Amino acid sequence: MFNNFFYTLKEVGVPVSPTSFLTLQKALSKGLINSIDDFYTSSRTILVKGERYFDLFDQVFAHHFQGVALPEDMGLEVDALLRSMLDEWLKNPKELADLLGMEESELSKLTPEELIEYFKKRLKEQTERHDGGSKWIGTGGTSPVGHSGNHPGGMRVGGVSRNKSAVKVALERRYKDYSHTGPLTQATIGEALKHLRNLIPSGPKDQVNIDSTIYNTIKNGGEIEIVFDRGLKDRLKVILAIDNGGWSMDPFIPVVQTLFDYARAQFKDVKTYFFHNTVYDTLWEDPARHRKPLNVDEFVRVDPDTRLIMVGDASMAPYELMSSDGSIYVDTRSGRPSIERLQFMAASFPHNVWLNPVPSHMWHYTMTVDAIRQIFPMFELSLDGLEGAISHLVAK
Amino acid sequence: MNRREENKEFKGATQYVLDDELAKIVNISMALEMPLLLKGEPGTGKTMLAHSIAENLKMPLIVLNVKSSMKLVEALYQYDTLTRLNDSRFGDSKRDVSNIEEYIKMGKIGQAFTSDTRTVLLIDEIDKADTDFQDDMLDVLDQMEFDIIEIDKTIRAKNRPVFIITSNAKKNLSDPFLGRCNFHHIAFPDPKMMRKIIDVHFPDIDSMLTDNAIETFYRLRELDRVEKKPATRELINWIRALGADPDFKPKKLAKGEVPFLGVLFKKSEDYGLAMQSVNRRRMF
Repeated sequence: MFNNFFYTLKEVGVPVSPTSFLTLQKALSKGLINSIDDFYTSSRTILVKGERYFDLFDQVFAHHFQGVALPEDMGLEVDALLRSMLDEWLKNPKELADLLGMEESELSKLTPEELIEYFKKRLKEQTERHDGGSKWIGTGGTSPVGHSGNHPGGMRVGGVSRNKSAVKVALERRYKDYSHTGPLTQATIGEALKHLRNLIPSGPKDQVNIDSTIYNTIKNGGEIEIVFDRGLKDRLKVILAIDNGGWSMDPFIPVVQTLFDYARAQFKDVKTYFFHNTVYDTLWEDPARHRKPLNVDEFVRVDPDTRLIMVGDASMAPYELMSSDGSIYVDTRSGRPSIERLQFMAASFPHNVWLNPVPSHMWHYTMTVDAIRQIFPMFELSLDGLEGAISHLVAK
Repeated sequence: MNRREENKEFKGATQYVLDDELAKIVNISMALEMPLLLKGEPGTGKTMLAHSIAENLKMPLIVLNVKSSMKLVEALYQYDTLTRLNDSRFGDSKRDVSNIEEYIKMGKIGQAFTSDTRTVLLIDEIDKADTDFQDDMLDVLDQMEFDIIEIDKTIRAKNRPVFIITSNAKKNLSDPFLGRCNFHHIAFPDPKMMRKIIDVHFPDIDSMLTDNAIETFYRLRELDRVEKKPATRELINWIRALGADPDFKPKKLAKGEVPFLGVLFKKSEDYGLAMQSVNRRRMF
């Protein structure tokens, strides 16, 4: 039973195992599952082993039992719609405010992200009622909102879910924030960065291991044998270089800020530097990139085991990267193309990654991204990407 | 909350607000005899759940607090070599030194296995320990038995305990281990749910105090850059603190004053940040 459901889960990338599927069958045959609501909770708890996949599960469930379109078809369309809506908003805030049933002043208070969220919620309400919800943005004439003032924001917990059918609950997609494509929060960044810490024994054997001492002493029939161990130390050094200049990085400031804050809290030995677009002769210790320059050549003196994490969108005019006088700042022109400096840095620190806040499917539209990817292994600044980057960094 | 007639079914307990979904998950895990792995932010009641299951089903609760250096053997049994050595040298106890079994002490898992009644075994924060710990546990979970090497004896579970395992996601759990568990993630309660939780803990609390406290609490949780956000536990302690202060009036919260900030924020940097934001608010 439900073989298709199982395979759809597998196809969309939820790691499900045959064993767990058999367990589900066992639950079914024992008569533990008597309704679709039961099936929803039970199959999720048995099949899905991480909250990151709950959102995908919800979507597949809704697809399977209600025929809701799967994410692949939906995602792009909505994104395109959102973009057009945002443009519309910039052109004519008043009209849009009317459409959304909001005061214009209220609308202007929202950040674009909040607006998108608000909008998506409306869109979802709309889809539920008559399956072609996307229409009303295009024509713009129909009144979209039946019941306004519906609970905005916040993640719902199950406590209130008693009166809703499983499909409705699944449609709400309340685990969206946990999914691997979801936004990076401090907690998720922290979780990922924690893998970077590696405690290894180092230094002289100067700590008494009491347990083995007792064990060995007793083994010797009471002849005292003291066992010493080395202390544990986190020896990982991290250099974090952040592109904090220019409008192209502006949308990503919050997420980079979070990464930066968390890195500072997590690692004892983390050095942060700043650059704009790409690196020429200097990196800067101050975010204003003005007072405390550091010559890139200095890196030869730093422990090559240091992990280098570059963060930037890697998007610029090709000449900035390739030309020997590429810098857009007159005073930092050095006669050497930036790409050589990047190669030098990558060679100085064999453990390196480049985190790019731009989604990976957009990378091949920008030439410089491809060029930099030849030098640094590039990962998306999302939970999945971050985890990939970390496992790349800790690899020997 | 969830009223059902059958006896051996979990329905929530006096100090715990249970949602329907979670109740179902607990019941199905018990019926399938599979361990239930709970993840979620600290303070969402993972540990409390095990307590309430034990209370509700009238089973004894055995808690295994996992520590970072813990080996699984410690949780199974301990061979008290020191006492044995002492006995053999000084011989002033009634124990028989040549009988090693007298020096075997059961660990928490061992206790749960040898107990005459079915128990609830809470393995708290399993992610603290090495991955070895989980790997070693696979066999124990599968076979429901373990060997005591020193006396060459196999301990079988008399009654299969109800396993509740919690994780704070400090480390990733291994796939084979996950495969043997049922999984649930407890989300942070929304204000409505939080109200219910508060009502359970403080049955005769002033509703204005609850409103204001919850509002302030969620506002403080929104603060950026706070490393350890206050959770349910902190809120409950905070309300307790507020109630204990004779000078306190709920109106003060509405005005933006936040007394006993230290109960909510326990890291000095977080405390500083919260303090700043509170003071800034009060000036307006």
